[in-house]
Amino acid sequence: MKMVKAEGLTYEYIKMLETDHGTEEEKVSALKAVDLEIEKGEFVVVLGHNGSGKSTFAKHINALLEPTKGTLWIKGMDTQNAELVWDIRQTAGMVFQNPDNQLVATVVEEDIAFGPENMGVAPEEIRRRVDEALATVHMEQYATHTPSKLSGGQKQRIAIAGVLAMKPDCIVLDEPTAMLDPSGRKEVMETIERLNKDEGITIILITHYMDEAVRGDRVYVIDDGEIVMEGKPKEIFSQVERLQQYGLDVPQVTEVAHLLRKEGIDIPADILTVEEMVGALCQLKLTI
Amino acid sequence: MSIEINHLTYIYNQDTAFEKKALDDVNLEIKKGQFVGLIGHTGSGKSTLIQHLNGIIAPTKGEILVDGENIHRNKAKLKEVRRRIGLAFQYPEYQLFEMTVYKDVAFGPTNMQLSKEEVHQNVVSALETVGIAPELYEKSPFELSGGQKRRVAIAGVLAMNPEVLILDEPTAGLDPKGRDEILQAIKRLHQERGITVILVSHSMEDVAKLVECIIVMHEGKVAMEGTPKEVFCHVKELEAMGLAAPQVSYVFAALKEKGFDVPLDVFTVEEARKVLLNMVRQVSV
Repeated sequence: MKMVKAEGLTYEYIKMLETDHGTEEEKVSALKAVDLEIEKGEFVVVLGHNGSGKSTFAKHINALLEPTKGTLWIKGMDTQNAELVWDIRQTAGMVFQNPDNQLVATVVEEDIAFGPENMGVAPEEIRRRVDEALATVHMEQYATHTPSKLSGGQKQRIAIAGVLAMKPDCIVLDEPTAMLDPSGRKEVMETIERLNKDEGITIILITHYMDEAVRGDRVYVIDDGEIVMEGKPKEIFSQVERLQQYGLDVPQVTEVAHLLRKEGIDIPADILTVEEMVGALCQLKLTI
Repeated sequence: MSIEINHLTYIYNQDTAFEKKALDDVNLEIKKGQFVGLIGHTGSGKSTLIQHLNGIIAPTKGEILVDGENIHRNKAKLKEVRRRIGLAFQYPEYQLFEMTVYKDVAFGPTNMQLSKEEVHQNVVSALETVGIAPELYEKSPFELSGGQKRRVAIAGVLAMNPEVLILDEPTAGLDPKGRDEILQAIKRLHQERGITVILVSHSMEDVAKLVECIIVMHEGKVAMEGTPKEVFCHVKELEAMGLAAPQVSYVFAALKEKGFDVPLDVFTVEEARKVLLNMVRQVSV
């Protein structure tokens, strides 16, 4: 069974416009007949400029929004089935951009216990899950600290631990590093990769940082509510000009490789990391 | 307007159990018309520092001189300083509140008791500088995109005609297009108005593209100061401070380590293209 499966997923809403002739209604399609499949254990990245529909998509996975047309299944569960909402939310957890908006308790371990407590998990099991989740995000020593005194990266790891304590199969992260400094971003990205590789949790990462996107197994590019590109990071990022058309970036090294190729230098188009760039340049030197 | 910071120390919650030294004997000089980048990881003291420049908090020790005058010596002067040194906080769009874009930008200059014509002039010129088209003037600021909202908020500061503009993380949370529009606007206002700009950012790529001089804060102290070329060649030191250099800097550091004769002060895509092109072509000739 697929972790996430969308068929013709469409989301429309009515926008009120103030005009000279009073209020007018305009129908906006945030998602237009999106089809996609995400396997269990995959690390999928969703890219798109602001307003492209990627956050709207993310909110469907968690059943925060319901499709206007089409269907979305999370582990076979139809998100329009109201009876399944709690199972869906327990299966697919969500982490948002602003670390300050998602922590509720005054003590770290209480914050992590909030989810399982509300699910009616037995106290000893909650204790076990909280300790396990803290260990997974490498925050054991902060169990009794107050979240407000933590750094942004630490807060995001606590938010991730809070989701982990609900034992999800899949975690959706909507720009989790946008408000963090470089070391905070690194901490969070390492945590996400560990969850995927060691715990086998399906990851859906929405981001504007292309150096994060290259770390996924597969990338979707959304533009104007439609999926316009899909493939492995190497397949996607070698198309520099097309990405730029969609208002997106490529990593600096990919852009440099693209510019060198334009000058007739024989260098691969699918360079994504510093190591690959250095390797390619060394080889170029050796073969000449 | 020049700003001079002498032996600035700031301690939060002094004489309590939560005492924390946020700034520790900081000495800096920011010259008129300079474009300065201020970097440092969370908690390094950068926000505390910029709040001092605008007189929001007063030093525990040391002084801040604006055009040679201590801004905290005279309360009346402080108000004047706040007008001359504009501060756009992080996520400034949260501070938009008026019914229309125009009214929101006009709020500052109106409160400065300028004439209606002067207010109008300031508002239009500020909105032009940040690239907000006249069609949007009568719209509600809340109907705009994230990048547009932020540019309107920055225009609100610009409309008071500050001589120094401090921007705290102006691109945080924006997509690449929104980010480029903001950076273009900042570049333009520095060039056209000749004002001093202090850009606080986590994005080393943004800083590398724009600024003339970088100040690196670490644990409340100034850890490095210099041109982007001087600062970004210290990749290892920056990493040790929880920071990073632009991605291409790492390529050149790695090439150097492998024994290639390459410069270490390359940090933009355009420069990297030039240097690498030269390098490859020289060998093939």
